[in-house]
Amino acid sequence: MRGGAIPLLVWAALLALLMAGNWVWTGDTIQVGTFAFAVLLVIGFALALVVRDRGAVRPGPPPRQARLEALPGVSLAPVGIALALAAILFGLAFGHFAIYFGGGLLAASLGRLALELRAAGRARRRYEDEHP
Amino acid sequence: MSAATSAPGGVRTLPGWLGAATSADHKRVGLNMAAASLVFFLAGGVMALLMRAQLAQPHTGFVSEGTYDELFTMHGSTMIYLFVTPMALALAVYLVPLQIGAAQVAWPRLLLGGFWTWLSGGVVMQLGWLTEEGAGRAGWFSYVPLANDLNTPGVGQDLWTIGVIMAALGLFLVAACVLATIATRRAPGMSVLRMPVFTWTELVSVLMVIGAFPVLIVAMSLLYAERLGAQVYTGFSGAIDYQDLFWFFGHPVVYVMFFPFLGAAAEVIAVNARKRWFGYPAFVASMLAFAALSMSVWAHHMFTTGGVTNQYFAFTSTALILPAGMEYLGMLGTLIGGAIVLRSSMLFALGFFVQFLIGGTSGIFVASPVLDYHAEDSYIVVGHFHYTLFAGSVFGFFAGVYHWFPKVTGARLRESLGKVHFVLLAVGTNLTFMPMFFLGDYGMSRRIAEYPTHPSWGPLNLLESIGAGIIALAVAVFLVNVGLSLRRREPAGDDPWGGHTLEWATSSPPPPGNFPAALPPIRSYAPLLDLREQKRSALAGGGGT
Repeated sequence: MRGGAIPLLVWAALLALLMAGNWVWTGDTIQVGTFAFAVLLVIGFALALVVRDRGAVRPGPPPRQARLEALPGVSLAPVGIALALAAILFGLAFGHFAIYFGGGLLAASLGRLALELRAAGRARRRYEDEHP
Repeated sequence: MSAATSAPGGVRTLPGWLGAATSADHKRVGLNMAAASLVFFLAGGVMALLMRAQLAQPHTGFVSEGTYDELFTMHGSTMIYLFVTPMALALAVYLVPLQIGAAQVAWPRLLLGGFWTWLSGGVVMQLGWLTEEGAGRAGWFSYVPLANDLNTPGVGQDLWTIGVIMAALGLFLVAACVLATIATRRAPGMSVLRMPVFTWTELVSVLMVIGAFPVLIVAMSLLYAERLGAQVYTGFSGAIDYQDLFWFFGHPVVYVMFFPFLGAAAEVIAVNARKRWFGYPAFVASMLAFAALSMSVWAHHMFTTGGVTNQYFAFTSTALILPAGMEYLGMLGTLIGGAIVLRSSMLFALGFFVQFLIGGTSGIFVASPVLDYHAEDSYIVVGHFHYTLFAGSVFGFFAGVYHWFPKVTGARLRESLGKVHFVLLAVGTNLTFMPMFFLGDYGMSRRIAEYPTHPSWGPLNLLESIGAGIIALAVAVFLVNVGLSLRRREPAGDDPWGGHTLEWATSSPPPPGNFPAALPPIRSYAPLLDLREQKRSALAGGGGT
């Protein structure tokens, strides 16, 4: 994590500089607005990293760490959610039956995601208990 | 030691295609994404061949004008939303965790969801071909008012709009995962200024995706609302607003389709010149500046609309030449004094740099409002962007394929077929796209299905169509090479080229978790080269005493 937010902040600063140039030179609301939106998205991402770990703004190599996590081998839930979204949007243009199908699939996939996340948490805790 | 430690019990998988489709392993997702992109590439290529058949001679009548509109719309959309951009990110998904010494990406489920959202979007977009009115036909940009329900009625255009929204959302999610991986999962010792060149190019690309793609999603959602009857983009200012929003995505995406392949070509050149990439800190700084500048040039696509301040965008567009020059300086500095090996990957990498130079310098013309008034909507523009995206990016892509194929599959591609592939592709590419500059200068407009009999237009168009056929032949040779190399495998070993970066420190293909053994110490952006140089100097020291 260490230093992970630095490239984002440097880049956001460069973008902000170019946005200021655009503002002064063109004064176009839509252009400055879209520019600001992009800058805020990148800064938001960087801030999320900093909130998670203050080391994200400190330069230098990441330290050694043994952070335990359960890596998913397979996961049906994200596939289901993506297909559900596709069905719903396709249904908007093509036929409402697809929206109902997508809604059902979305509910089932979100349930499946909750189960997968619980199982991952259980696997991690079991490992921590077995390897104190 | 990897940055993350997996829980015990092995990695759970499902059998067969279901296991491959639902695997959350970044390598499997990257391969799935690359394979799907390649299928879309072949589909987009067939569309291009149909267009070239239509344009080979004046008045061929091979396809109708309506079908031609669908073909150029879907060719551009397929290549941009469904091939080059996702392929650039697929390389990141597969290679970046390996290059930074990570066991897995940061959010594997989100990555998997992003891939399937993008793929579903691609399928929805192509489903338009099956509708009564045909596929989307308002161009890959779908300007309003052309793309509204009145001027382009039909479900096909609706499906195109929804497909673009989904594809952009999926790619945004994939990019967010890559960015989070780079930010949080680098191996101990790998500071941001020790990341490999390719990883840096992917980092700036995903930063651009994070900044630009949400604007496309907003623009397309509003376009869909417009098609449903909402008055969103009304009048002249509405049309300009749409173009502002679209090109805020549309120009950065050109660089998202360029930087990763620049990174691939740079890695190939460094490894095949047996040298470090020249001027690494300047390269990193110029990549950040290049990416930021390329977010600020979008309205050069709108010079002739009269709705934007041309001076600002001419200034930023021309300024791009500075960071671009730094990349060329890096390439030349790496080649000078190197022990160069001309493998297929190296030929493609050199081809990338030479041909992109033509694309880049022709870009200077369209960065100048005065010259752009002459070039706008002519074949000069078509030639320019095909030199950047096909003659540039696709050559960089093939350089990467020949370089990393052994890592991904454990087998080498055939060198002889690789060289045939390169020669055919280089000849075909230049035969297809070089005449476009002359055609444009002679006044031929883009996006026309028919053209009058003209002493220059006919022969030049015929040359282009022959070139397109040669490109198809080159792609066929590549596919034969892949098939042959996978069937009659020549084992590659873990590090067949003497690689510089961490992906070459693990087995080919890498196992789940990527690095079963301890990683080598990371003291620069080329840790394996450091290790080799250390061993060499130790041997030399031993020999001298």
